[in-house]
Amino acid sequence: MKVTVEFLGVAGLAAGTREVTLELPEGTTFRQIVRRLSERYPDLVGKVIAEDRETMFGSNILNRNGKTVIRDELLDTCPQDGDKLFIMAILAGG
Amino acid sequence: MYGYSGRILHIDLTERKTWSEDKPEEWYKLYIGGVSMAARLLWENIEVGCDPLSPGNPICIAGGIFAGTPVPVGGKHGMASKSPLTGFIGDSLSGSWFSLALKRARWDGVVIHGQSDSWVNVFIDDDRVQFRDATKLLGLNTYETEEAIRDELGDDQVRSATIGPAGENLVLFANVTNDGRQAGRTGHGAVWGSKKLKALSIRGTHGVTVADPETLMKLSYDITQAAQGPHTAKYRIYGTATSVLKMDRMGLLPTRNFREGTFEHADLVSGEYMHEHNHVKTIACAQCPIACEQMCSVKDGPYAGAMTGIDYECLFANGPNCGISDIRTVIKLVDLCDRGGMDAMTNGVTVSWAMESFERGVFTKEDFKCKKYPEGFEPYFGNGEAAVTLTEMIRDREGIGDLLSKGTRLASRITDEERGTESYKWAMNIKGLENAGYDARALKTFALGLAVGTRGGCHNRSAAYDPDITGETDRFTVDETRGRVAGRSEEYAAVYDTLPLCKFIRRCFTGKADRAGAWPAIAKLINATTGWDFGYDEVDLIGVRAHTIKKAFNIREGWTRADDHLPYRWQHDPMTKGASAGYVVTDEELEYMKDLYYEYKGWTKEGLIPKSKLIELGMDDVAEEIGV
Ligand code: SF4
Repeated sequence: MKVTVEFLGVAGLAAGTREVTLELPEGTTFRQIVRRLSERYPDLVGKVIAEDRETMFGSNILNRNGKTVIRDELLDTCPQDGDKLFIMAILAGG
Repeated sequence: MYGYSGRILHIDLTERKTWSEDKPEEWYKLYIGGVSMAARLLWENIEVGCDPLSPGNPICIAGGIFAGTPVPVGGKHGMASKSPLTGFIGDSLSGSWFSLALKRARWDGVVIHGQSDSWVNVFIDDDRVQFRDATKLLGLNTYETEEAIRDELGDDQVRSATIGPAGENLVLFANVTNDGRQAGRTGHGAVWGSKKLKALSIRGTHGVTVADPETLMKLSYDITQAAQGPHTAKYRIYGTATSVLKMDRMGLLPTRNFREGTFEHADLVSGEYMHEHNHVKTIACAQCPIACEQMCSVKDGPYAGAMTGIDYECLFANGPNCGISDIRTVIKLVDLCDRGGMDAMTNGVTVSWAMESFERGVFTKEDFKCKKYPEGFEPYFGNGEAAVTLTEMIRDREGIGDLLSKGTRLASRITDEERGTESYKWAMNIKGLENAGYDARALKTFALGLAVGTRGGCHNRSAAYDPDITGETDRFTVDETRGRVAGRSEEYAAVYDTLPLCKFIRRCFTGKADRAGAWPAIAKLINATTGWDFGYDEVDLIGVRAHTIKKAFNIREGWTRADDHLPYRWQHDPMTKGASAGYVVTDEELEYMKDLYYEYKGWTKEGLIPKSKLIELGMDDVAEEIGV
């Protein structure tokens, strides 16, 4: 299956790219995707992805199709072919 | 008393006299500073039921507990008056050098009463107060006014809060500017204008005495270090403008007067695009190691030379929400607002209301005649020059700008009465304050937070979009948790607004932004400053009390449950595109969530506050007046 990941804001700076399309075997979990991203873009670790390389750092979130936040308890579920994932830090207040 | 001087300065513009009021330490422990203390001063000093633009509505300014200390992002002050836009409490925060000057002049707060019969610049010079003729300052923009006062006094250490032409002209969403920062929302500038107060200047020459300087220094050093780390990179690099694309991708970016939540040109008005093409430098409020303010300029085209700080809220309102995709026009619009002294958020949302009204035939080209375009112009969505001209007309109250200077609630009421139209259906305000840049049709907890908010459509007093966006709640549905989540969110925000500390520091105490992560650290800062013995519970109560005094103020001014509403559009017109298409907040959902919220707060079903609740909070005199 194909999944596109868009890195928004500082995630894009750390990744050095705005978007990547991943070819993944069926059954790949979000946890495995985060791990794969941390390997491919090591600068994300400690800034966007946590040191465990499986969860998100600080206020960063992994969002599926703009609708569902893949919180820690959903990391072992799987995306579907054609899904668009967004990695972004949430800003609030001021 | 450490950290405070124990004195409030009262200034009567009618009689041109001043007096000092001593407050006991117990009073400070209850109301602390910032918006809470400003709201309390307003509670004590207003003529109940007065017209917001009458002499009976005082300007109340309250300093910050940490202003002038090493505590990072603590250089802020609160301001409160009865809002001419909402008729309820108008409370705002501003920051930077003015807040420090107030502290160094050894005043914890200032209450300005009455109404001057000629334009005045009040100059607080430590203990001395001068009433200076401000006639020469009239017509100057906010920045020019500050500079002119410094020149006149021959001292570049004098800090001023000023109004621009919009405040002089009583634009109901005029604001007050100091050091390039604004007490931005709810129309403080109009209140200042009604008093003929062009500027309040301060020179403070004293130091600030704290209880435990060594501990405070150590704590502040650690927080400052963290504030320059990864948790704040998002603010330092792109500032809040980086939210444009995020909101767009979630279908929450208000577009064309909140008709849709996704903008086809979002990339062209994104923080990322602006950073590459328009960024000049990054600046900070005084006492801030983060520096989130992105100064942006227009280098070419008809608006070349425009330059100001751009954040997400003013960007969404004057960009996507007006259908404008040229970032240079957006910078020009925000610059016009900042120099003119107007709330750029309300300006954008009001201009977009006028655009939709034009496209729907409520207004015609004829209605837009002005000096610049004697034949009128056509303010369709995306017409940047029309938005610029309308903003100038609002500032000067020229032509239809007079109607628009009243904000969307009043402008739509007047229009509908005169023309038999229904433009209230797309007037995007709550309690008269125009909405912030998050479409709440698919942020159900935030919708509740906005509806019950004491100052209207504000993203700063309720942060309930955070649990919705981070997936802590299901943002598309409602359930029995929402009253608690929304209530806790506004009380959390109120702690920061009361100290005040900029909320962007909230992950820098322990890495976690929640109460458990932040309150113990904040308690230590308070204790090292004041010598008090605050713990987690006392910090938590700061927010509860701050919110309660504002709510009590509204109740005394006639608030009822029906005032906790949402804009018609959010309840009836679902969006058709993007990730949040298809949702509204139904009446049933809203009323259910309001019930849950009042229950969480321990209030009656009608949203009134029981006497016992107020007494529990140490607010016995408030209980006497409005408790049930
Ligand atoms: S982070 Fe930004 S808004 Fe907050 S204090 Fe610093 S410069 Fe001011």
